[in-house]
Amino acid sequence: MNNTVTIRTRKFMTTRRLQREQVVTDVLHPGKATVPKTEIWGTLAKMYKTTPNVIFVFGFRTHFGDGKTTGLGMIYDSLGHTKKDEPKHRLARHGLYEKTSRKQRKERTSRIKRVMGTAKASLVLAKGSQLEIGQQKE
Amino acid sequence: MAAPEVLESDLPNAVALLKNLQEQVMAVTAQVQALTKKVQAKAYPTEKGLSLLEVKDQLLLMYLMDLSHLILDKASGGSLQGHPAVLRLVEIRTVLEKLRPLDQKLKYQIDKLVKTAVTGSLSESDPLRFKPHPSNMMSKLSSGDEEEDEAEEGQSGASGMKSGKGTAKKYVPPRLVPVHYDETEAEREKKRLERAKRRALSSSVIRELKEQYSDAPEEIRDARHPHVTRQSQEDQHRINYEESMMVRLSVSKREKGRRKRANVMSSQIHSLTHFSDISALTGGAPHLDEDQNSTKKRKKIAKKGQKKKGFRRRR
Repeated sequence: MNNTVTIRTRKFMTTRRLQREQVVTDVLHPGKATVPKTEIWGTLAKMYKTTPNVIFVFGFRTHFGDGKTTGLGMIYDSLGHTKKDEPKHRLARHGLYEKTSRKQRKERTSRIKRVMGTAKASLVLAKGSQLEIGQQKE
Repeated sequence: MAAPEVLESDLPNAVALLKNLQEQVMAVTAQVQALTKKVQAKAYPTEKGLSLLEVKDQLLLMYLMDLSHLILDKASGGSLQGHPAVLRLVEIRTVLEKLRPLDQKLKYQIDKLVKTAVTGSLSESDPLRFKPHPSNMMSKLSSGDEEEDEAEEGQSGASGMKSGKGTAKKYVPPRLVPVHYDETEAEREKKRLERAKRRALSSSVIRELKEQYSDAPEEIRDARHPHVTRQSQEDQHRINYEESMMVRLSVSKREKGRRKRANVMSSQIHSLTHFSDISALTGGAPHLDEDQNSTKKRKKIAKKGQKKKGFRRRR
Protein backbone atom coordinates (compact mmCIF):
# COMPACT_ATOMS: atom_id res chain seq x y z
CA MET A 1 0.00 0.00 0.00
CA ASN A 2 1.09 3.51 -0.71
CA ASN A 3 2.48 4.84 2.55
CA THR A 4 2.59 8.55 1.81
CA VAL A 5 0.89 11.30 3.71
CA THR A 6 -1.71 13.37 1.87
CA ILE A 7 -2.98 16.68 3.11
CA ARG A 8 -6.20 18.09 1.74
CA THR A 9 -7.95 21.27 2.73
CA ARG A 10 -11.60 22.17 2.58
CA LYS A 11 -13.99 24.85 3.79
CA PHE A 12 -11.62 27.59 2.85
CA MET A 13 -12.77 30.97 4.13
CA THR A 14 -11.16 34.38 4.31
CA THR A 15 -11.80 36.40 7.43
CA ARG A 16 -10.79 39.88 6.37
CA ARG A 17 -11.34 41.44 9.75
CA LEU A 18 -8.66 39.23 11.25
CA GLN A 19 -6.45 39.24 8.15
CA ARG A 20 -6.33 35.52 7.77
CA GLU A 21 -7.73 32.55 5.96
CA GLN A 22 -9.11 29.55 7.76
CA VAL A 23 -9.23 26.01 6.46
CA VAL A 24 -10.21 22.57 7.61
CA THR A 25 -7.35 20.19 6.98
CA ASP A 26 -7.78 16.50 6.28
CA VAL A 27 -4.61 14.50 6.67
CA LEU A 28 -4.58 11.01 5.24
CA HIS A 29 -1.85 8.86 6.76
CA PRO A 30 -2.67 5.19 6.27
CA GLY A 31 -0.52 2.91 8.36
CA LYS A 32 1.29 5.72 10.15
CA ALA A 33 0.93 7.61 13.38
CA THR A 34 -0.67 11.03 13.42
CA VAL A 35 1.44 13.53 11.53
CA PRO A 36 3.20 16.10 13.73
CA LYS A 37 2.19 19.72 13.33
CA THR A 38 5.60 20.91 12.13
CA GLU A 39 5.28 18.77 9.01
CA ILE A 40 1.82 20.06 8.39
CA TRP A 41 3.10 23.65 8.60
CA GLY A 42 5.62 22.89 5.90
CA THR A 43 3.11 21.27 3.56
CA LEU A 44 0.48 23.94 4.01
CA ALA A 45 3.08 26.63 3.42
CA LYS A 46 3.90 25.08 0.07
CA MET A 47 0.22 24.77 -0.82
CA TYR A 48 -0.57 28.38 -0.04
CA LYS A 49 2.80 29.76 -1.03
CA THR A 50 3.71 31.39 2.26
CA THR A 51 6.23 30.80 4.99
CA PRO A 52 5.54 28.22 7.67
CA ASN A 53 5.63 30.71 10.49
CA VAL A 54 2.29 32.29 9.59
CA ILE A 55 0.47 28.96 9.62
CA PHE A 56 -1.25 27.83 12.80
CA VAL A 57 -3.00 24.47 13.04
CA PHE A 58 -4.79 22.98 15.99
CA GLY A 59 -7.46 20.57 17.09
CA PHE A 60 -6.36 17.43 15.30
CA ARG A 61 -8.65 14.48 15.88
CA THR A 62 -7.93 11.09 14.39
CA HIS A 63 -11.01 9.20 13.26
CA PHE A 64 -11.71 5.73 14.55
CA GLY A 65 -9.52 3.04 12.99
CA ASP A 66 -6.63 5.29 11.91
CA GLY A 67 -5.83 6.64 8.58
CA LYS A 68 -7.53 10.01 8.66
CA THR A 69 -7.08 13.01 10.90
CA THR A 70 -9.06 16.23 10.72
CA GLY A 71 -7.84 19.52 12.08
CA LEU A 72 -8.42 23.24 11.84
CA GLY A 73 -5.93 25.76 10.53
CA MET A 74 -5.34 29.47 10.10
CA ILE A 75 -3.09 31.16 7.57
CA TYR A 76 -2.23 34.75 8.34
CA ASP A 77 -1.24 37.56 6.01
CA SER A 78 1.86 38.48 7.92
CA LEU A 79 3.73 37.88 11.15
CA GLY A 80 2.47 41.14 12.63
CA HIS A 81 -1.11 40.01 12.25
CA THR A 82 -0.36 36.73 13.96
CA LYS A 83 1.08 38.52 16.95
CA LYS A 84 -2.11 40.52 17.30
CA ASP A 85 -4.78 37.95 16.68
CA GLU A 86 -3.53 34.52 17.57
CA PRO A 87 -3.89 33.22 21.11
CA LYS A 88 -0.70 33.01 23.10
CA HIS A 89 -0.53 29.26 23.50
CA ARG A 90 -0.46 28.78 19.75
CA LEU A 91 2.20 31.45 19.33
CA ALA A 92 4.24 29.56 21.91
CA ARG A 93 4.14 26.46 19.72
CA HIS A 94 5.92 28.46 17.06
CA GLY A 95 8.34 29.89 19.56
CA LEU A 96 7.01 33.43 19.18
CA TYR A 97 5.91 33.80 22.75
CA GLU A 98 7.24 32.81 26.09
CA LYS A 99 5.25 32.85 29.24
CA THR A 100 6.76 34.26 32.39
CA SER A 101 6.29 31.88 35.24
CA ARG A 102 3.39 32.39 37.55
CA LYS A 103 5.62 32.86 40.57
CA GLN A 104 7.52 35.68 38.93
CA ARG A 105 4.36 37.46 37.92
CA LYS A 106 3.00 37.30 41.44
CA GLU A 107 6.26 38.60 42.90
CA ARG A 108 6.19 41.45 40.48
CA THR A 109 2.66 42.49 41.39
CA SER A 110 3.51 42.39 45.07
CA ARG A 111 6.52 44.61 44.40
CA ILE A 112 4.38 47.11 42.56
CA LYS A 113 1.79 47.12 45.33
CA ARG A 114 4.40 48.07 47.89
CA VAL A 115 5.22 51.29 46.05
CA MET A 116 2.93 54.32 45.72
CA GLY A 117 2.47 56.85 42.96
CA THR A 118 4.87 57.61 40.09
CA ALA A 119 7.38 55.06 41.34
CA LYS A 120 4.98 52.39 40.10
CA ALA A 121 5.63 53.39 36.50
CA SER A 122 9.29 52.42 36.67
CA LEU A 123 8.44 49.02 38.10
CA VAL A 124 5.74 48.31 35.50
CA LEU A 125 8.26 48.50 32.69
CA ALA A 126 10.95 46.68 34.64
CA LYS A 127 12.48 43.37 33.66
CA GLY A 128 10.43 40.24 33.85
CA SER A 129 7.20 41.70 32.52
CA GLN A 130 5.29 39.65 29.98
CA LEU A 131 4.78 42.76 27.91
CA GLU A 132 8.49 43.22 27.45
CA ILE A 133 9.27 39.73 26.25
CA GLY A 134 6.46 39.80 23.73
CA GLN A 135 7.75 43.09 22.38
CA GLN A 136 11.32 41.89 22.19
CA LYS A 137 10.53 39.10 19.83
CA GLU A 138 8.91 41.39 17.27
CA MET B 1 -62.25 59.02 -42.87
CA ALA B 2 -64.23 61.27 -40.61
CA ALA B 3 -61.11 62.85 -39.19
CA PRO B 4 -61.73 66.53 -40.01
CA GLU B 5 -65.30 66.38 -38.61
CA VAL B 6 -64.08 64.72 -35.41
CA LEU B 7 -61.41 67.37 -35.11
CA GLU B 8 -63.92 70.16 -35.58
CA SER B 9 -66.28 68.90 -32.90
CA ASP B 10 -63.41 68.30 -30.53
CA LEU B 11 -61.80 71.70 -31.03
CA PRO B 12 -63.87 73.79 -28.58
CA ASN B 13 -63.54 71.06 -25.93
CA ALA B 14 -59.82 70.93 -26.39
CA VAL B 15 -59.49 74.71 -26.12
CA ALA B 16 -61.55 74.77 -22.94
CA LEU B 17 -59.49 71.96 -21.44
CA LEU B 18 -56.24 73.69 -22.29
CA LYS B 19 -57.40 76.90 -20.63
CA ASN B 20 -58.43 74.88 -17.58
CA LEU B 21 -55.03 73.23 -17.55
CA GLN B 22 -53.27 76.58 -17.67
CA GLU B 23 -55.23 77.95 -14.71
CA GLN B 24 -54.64 74.83 -12.69
CA VAL B 25 -50.92 74.83 -13.42
CA MET B 26 -50.73 78.42 -12.18
CA ALA B 27 -52.59 77.47 -9.00
CA VAL B 28 -50.30 74.50 -8.40
CA THR B 29 -47.14 76.55 -8.88
CA ALA B 30 -48.47 79.16 -6.46
CA GLN B 31 -49.10 76.48 -3.86
CA VAL B 32 -45.71 74.86 -4.34
CA GLN B 33 -43.99 78.20 -3.98
CA ALA B 34 -45.89 78.93 -0.79
CA LEU B 35 -44.85 75.54 0.59
CA THR B 36 -41.21 76.01 -0.23
CA LYS B 37 -41.29 79.42 1.45
CA LYS B 38 -42.78 77.87 4.53
CA VAL B 39 -40.17 75.12 4.61
CA GLN B 40 -37.41 77.65 4.23
CA ALA B 41 -38.93 79.69 7.02
CA LYS B 42 -38.65 76.54 9.18
CA ALA B 43 -42.36 76.25 9.82
CA TYR B 44 -42.04 72.41 9.72
CA PRO B 45 -39.44 71.43 12.28
CA THR B 46 -38.10 67.90 11.80
CA GLU B 47 -35.30 67.70 14.32
CA LYS B 48 -37.24 65.22 16.38
CA GLY B 49 -38.09 63.21 13.31
CA LEU B 50 -41.40 62.56 11.66
CA SER B 51 -44.06 60.36 13.11
CA LEU B 52 -44.42 56.91 11.60
CA LEU B 53 -47.85 57.65 10.23
CA GLU B 54 -46.68 60.79 8.45
CA VAL B 55 -43.77 58.93 6.93
CA LYS B 56 -46.03 56.16 5.71
CA ASP B 57 -48.41 58.70 4.24
CA GLN B 58 -45.68 60.42 2.29
CA LEU B 59 -44.14 57.19 1.12
CA LEU B 60 -47.43 55.84 -0.15
CA LEU B 61 -48.15 59.06 -1.98
CA MET B 62 -44.74 59.00 -3.61
CA TYR B 63 -45.29 55.40 -4.56
CA LEU B 64 -48.54 56.30 -6.25
CA MET B 65 -46.95 59.15 -8.13
CA ASP B 66 -44.13 56.99 -9.39
CA LEU B 67 -46.54 54.26 -10.41
CA SER B 68 -48.70 56.65 -12.36
CA HIS B 69 -45.59 58.04 -14.02
CA LEU B 70 -44.63 54.54 -15.09
CA ILE B 71 -48.12 53.77 -16.35
CA LEU B 72 -48.09 56.96 -18.37
CA ASP B 73 -44.78 56.08 -19.95
CA LYS B 74 -45.81 52.54 -20.71
CA ALA B 75 -49.16 53.63 -22.13
CA SER B 76 -47.43 56.01 -24.54
CA GLY B 77 -45.25 53.16 -25.77
CA GLY B 78 -42.02 53.77 -23.90
CA SER B 79 -39.93 51.00 -22.40
CA LEU B 80 -39.34 50.56 -18.68
CA GLN B 81 -35.73 49.51 -19.08
CA GLY B 82 -33.57 51.47 -16.67
CA HIS B 83 -36.35 53.90 -15.94
CA PRO B 84 -35.46 56.00 -12.89
CA ALA B 85 -38.99 55.70 -11.53
CA VAL B 86 -38.48 51.94 -11.19
CA LEU B 87 -35.50 52.49 -8.92
CA ARG B 88 -37.45 54.94 -6.84
CA LEU B 89 -40.30 52.50 -6.56
CA VAL B 90 -37.99 49.75 -5.41
CA GLU B 91 -36.50 52.03 -2.79
CA ILE B 92 -39.87 53.09 -1.45
CA ARG B 93 -41.05 49.52 -1.38
CA THR B 94 -38.08 48.37 0.65
CA VAL B 95 -38.58 51.16 3.15
CA LEU B 96 -42.26 50.29 3.50
CA GLU B 97 -41.46 46.64 4.09
CA LYS B 98 -38.90 47.53 6.73
CA LEU B 99 -41.53 49.64 8.46
CA ARG B 100 -43.86 46.71 8.73
CA PRO B 101 -42.58 45.32 12.06
CA LEU B 102 -42.88 48.80 13.58
CA ASP B 103 -46.43 48.79 12.35
CA GLN B 104 -47.09 45.53 14.09
CA LYS B 105 -45.81 46.88 17.34
CA LEU B 106 -48.03 49.93 17.17
CA LYS B 107 -51.05 48.02 15.90
CA TYR B 108 -52.66 47.67 19.30
CA GLN B 109 -52.48 51.34 20.16
CA ILE B 110 -53.60 52.52 16.76
CA ASP B 111 -56.55 50.15 16.75
CA LYS B 112 -57.61 51.32 20.14
CA LEU B 113 -57.40 54.99 19.19
CA VAL B 114 -59.27 54.47 15.95
CA LYS B 115 -62.00 52.56 17.68
CA THR B 116 -62.41 55.20 20.35
CA ALA B 117 -62.53 57.89 17.71
CA VAL B 118 -65.17 56.02 15.73
CA THR B 119 -67.49 54.77 18.46
CA GLY B 120 -66.91 57.40 21.12
CA SER B 121 -66.28 54.93 23.93
CA LEU B 122 -65.50 51.26 24.35
CA SER B 123 -67.95 48.63 25.50
CA GLU B 124 -67.45 46.77 28.74
CA SER B 125 -66.29 43.40 27.42
CA ASP B 126 -64.07 44.86 24.72
CA PRO B 127 -60.82 42.90 24.50
CA LEU B 128 -58.96 46.15 23.82
CA ARG B 129 -59.80 47.36 27.26
CA PHE B 130 -57.77 44.91 29.28
CA LYS B 131 -54.71 46.06 31.11
CA PRO B 132 -52.52 43.90 33.31
CA HIS B 133 -53.78 43.28 36.82
CA PRO B 134 -51.01 42.01 39.06
CA SER B 135 -53.56 41.28 41.76
CA ASN B 136 -54.82 38.49 39.53
CA MET B 137 -51.53 36.71 40.05
CA MET B 138 -52.50 35.81 43.61
CA SER B 139 -53.91 32.37 43.95
CA LYS B 140 -57.63 32.34 44.48
CA LEU B 141 -57.61 28.88 46.00
CA SER B 142 -56.50 29.73 49.52
CA SER B 143 -59.68 29.14 51.51
CA GLY B 144 -58.67 31.27 54.51
CA ASP B 145 -58.43 34.60 52.68
CA GLU B 146 -61.32 34.18 50.27
CA GLU B 147 -63.27 37.09 51.61
CA GLU B 148 -60.29 39.41 51.56
CA ASP B 149 -59.55 38.51 47.98
CA GLU B 150 -63.07 39.24 46.91
CA ALA B 151 -63.00 42.63 48.54
CA GLU B 152 -59.74 43.51 46.78
CA GLU B 153 -61.05 42.30 43.47
CA GLY B 154 -64.12 44.44 43.85
CA GLN B 155 -61.98 47.55 44.18
CA SER B 156 -59.53 46.87 41.37
CA GLY B 157 -61.94 45.33 38.94
CA ALA B 158 -63.65 48.58 38.01
CA SER B 159 -62.43 48.81 34.43
CA GLY B 160 -61.15 45.26 33.99
CA MET B 161 -62.67 41.87 33.33
CA LYS B 162 -65.88 41.18 35.13
CA SER B 163 -65.83 38.17 37.41
CA GLY B 164 -68.90 36.87 35.65
CA LYS B 165 -71.29 37.31 38.53
CA GLY B 166 -74.29 39.12 37.10
CA THR B 167 -75.01 38.24 33.50
CA ALA B 168 -74.26 34.82 32.03
CA LYS B 169 -71.24 35.46 29.83
CA LYS B 170 -68.83 33.15 28.05
CA TYR B 171 -66.31 31.82 30.48
CA VAL B 172 -62.83 33.16 29.78
CA PRO B 173 -60.29 31.35 31.94
CA PRO B 174 -57.75 33.66 33.52
CA ARG B 175 -54.38 33.03 31.95
CA LEU B 176 -51.93 34.24 34.51
CA VAL B 177 -53.27 32.69 37.65
CA PRO B 178 -51.03 29.92 38.97
CA VAL B 179 -52.64 26.48 39.04
CA HIS B 180 -52.01 23.93 41.75
CA TYR B 181 -50.10 20.83 40.66
CA ASP B 182 -52.27 17.95 41.63
CA GLU B 183 -51.06 14.76 39.97
CA THR B 184 -51.63 11.85 42.26
CA GLU B 185 -49.57 8.72 42.49
CA ALA B 186 -52.25 6.77 40.63
CA GLU B 187 -52.16 9.15 37.66
CA ARG B 188 -48.39 8.92 37.52
CA GLU B 189 -48.58 5.14 37.48
CA LYS B 190 -51.08 5.25 34.66
CA LYS B 191 -48.84 7.50 32.60
CA ARG B 192 -45.87 5.27 33.17
CA LEU B 193 -47.85 2.25 32.13
CA GLU B 194 -48.98 3.93 28.94
CA ARG B 195 -45.47 4.88 28.04
CA ALA B 196 -44.23 1.36 28.68
CA LYS B 197 -47.01 0.00 26.48
CA ARG B 198 -46.05 2.29 23.63
CA ARG B 199 -42.43 1.27 23.93
CA ALA B 200 -43.37 -2.40 24.02
CA LEU B 201 -45.49 -2.06 20.88
CA SER B 202 -42.45 -0.97 18.90
CA SER B 203 -40.13 -3.66 20.22
CA SER B 204 -38.68 -6.27 17.93
CA VAL B 205 -40.77 -9.17 19.29
CA ILE B 206 -44.07 -7.46 18.61
CA ARG B 207 -42.90 -6.24 15.24
CA GLU B 208 -41.98 -9.73 14.13
CA LEU B 209 -45.36 -11.02 15.25
CA LYS B 210 -47.03 -8.31 13.23
CA GLU B 211 -45.00 -9.20 10.17
CA GLN B 212 -45.92 -12.81 10.58
CA TYR B 213 -49.66 -12.22 10.63
CA SER B 214 -50.00 -9.30 8.26
CA ASP B 215 -50.54 -9.68 4.53
CA ALA B 216 -48.29 -6.80 3.56
CA PRO B 217 -45.13 -7.68 1.67
CA GLU B 218 -42.01 -8.07 3.75
CA GLU B 219 -39.80 -5.01 3.80
CA ILE B 220 -36.08 -5.34 4.19
CA ARG B 221 -34.65 -2.04 5.30
CA ASP B 222 -31.20 -1.09 6.28
CA ALA B 223 -32.47 0.60 9.37
CA ARG B 224 -30.20 1.35 12.23
CA HIS B 225 -31.14 1.44 15.83
CA PRO B 226 -32.99 4.70 16.64
CA HIS B 227 -30.48 5.61 19.35
CA VAL B 228 -27.66 5.22 16.90
CA THR B 229 -29.21 7.45 14.25
CA ARG B 230 -29.87 10.12 16.84
CA GLN B 231 -26.32 9.99 18.10
CA SER B 232 -24.86 10.05 14.62
CA GLN B 233 -27.01 13.07 13.78
CA GLU B 234 -25.77 14.87 16.86
CA ASP B 235 -22.20 13.99 15.99
CA GLN B 236 -22.66 15.35 12.51
CA HIS B 237 -24.12 18.53 13.93
CA ARG B 238 -21.18 18.91 16.27
CA ILE B 239 -18.67 18.37 13.48
CA ASN B 240 -20.38 20.96 11.30
CA TYR B 241 -20.34 23.47 14.10
CA GLU B 242 -16.70 22.88 14.88
CA GLU B 243 -15.63 23.27 11.29
CA SER B 244 -17.61 26.39 10.65
CA MET B 245 -16.75 28.13 13.92
CA MET B 246 -13.14 27.01 13.94
CA VAL B 247 -13.24 25.80 17.53
CA ARG B 248 -13.01 22.43 19.20
CA LEU B 249 -15.81 21.73 21.67
CA SER B 250 -15.17 19.72 24.80
CA VAL B 251 -16.99 16.43 25.23
CA SER B 252 -18.61 15.82 28.56
CA LYS B 253 -18.66 12.48 30.32
CA ARG B 254 -22.29 11.99 29.46
CA GLU B 255 -21.60 12.59 25.82
CA LYS B 256 -18.76 10.11 25.88
CA GLY B 257 -21.00 7.55 27.51
CA ARG B 258 -23.71 8.10 24.93
CA ARG B 259 -21.28 7.71 22.09
CA LYS B 260 -19.92 4.51 23.53
CA ARG B 261 -23.39 3.13 23.95
CA ALA B 262 -24.27 4.09 20.41
CA ASN B 263 -21.22 2.22 19.16
CA VAL B 264 -22.21 -0.83 21.13
CA MET B 265 -25.76 -0.75 19.85
CA SER B 266 -24.78 -0.34 16.25
CA SER B 267 -23.27 -3.80 16.35
CA GLN B 268 -26.06 -6.07 15.16
CA ILE B 269 -25.05 -8.86 17.49
CA HIS B 270 -26.55 -6.99 20.41
CA SER B 271 -30.05 -7.21 19.01
CA LEU B 272 -29.74 -10.98 18.58
CA THR B 273 -29.60 -11.71 22.27
CA HIS B 274 -31.19 -8.68 23.95
CA PHE B 275 -34.93 -8.21 23.85
CA SER B 276 -36.82 -5.25 25.15
CA ASP B 277 -39.35 -5.55 27.92
CA ILE B 278 -42.95 -6.25 26.82
CA SER B 279 -44.42 -6.90 30.23
CA ALA B 280 -46.63 -3.82 29.82
CA LEU B 281 -48.62 -5.69 27.19
CA THR B 282 -48.49 -9.17 28.65
CA GLY B 283 -49.24 -8.04 32.18
CA GLY B 284 -46.40 -9.92 33.82
CA ALA B 285 -43.73 -8.54 36.13
CA PRO B 286 -41.20 -6.24 34.42
CA HIS B 287 -38.07 -8.23 33.70
CA LEU B 288 -34.73 -6.77 32.78
CA ASP B 289 -31.60 -8.01 31.13
CA GLU B 290 -28.78 -9.01 33.41
CA ASP B 291 -26.47 -6.25 32.23
CA GLN B 292 -29.10 -3.54 32.31
CA ASN B 293 -29.86 -1.79 35.56
CA SER B 294 -33.32 -0.64 36.48
CA THR B 295 -33.77 3.08 36.87
CA LYS B 296 -33.92 2.78 40.63
CA LYS B 297 -30.66 0.92 40.79
CA ARG B 298 -29.02 3.41 38.43
CA LYS B 299 -30.11 6.30 40.62
CA LYS B 300 -28.79 4.62 43.74
CA ILE B 301 -25.41 4.01 42.16
CA ALA B 302 -25.18 7.58 40.95
CA LYS B 303 -26.16 8.99 44.31
CA LYS B 304 -23.54 6.94 46.07
CA GLY B 305 -20.83 8.46 43.90
CA GLN B 306 -21.98 11.99 44.63
CA LYS B 307 -22.18 11.61 48.36
CA LYS B 308 -18.58 10.58 48.81
CA LYS B 309 -16.63 13.64 47.73
CA GLY B 310 -19.04 16.41 48.52
CA PHE B 311 -20.66 18.07 45.57
CA ARG B 312 -19.26 16.74 42.36
CA ARG B 313 -20.71 18.39 39.28
CA ARG B 314 -21.82 15.87 36.69
CA ARG B 315 -21.47 17.40 33.26
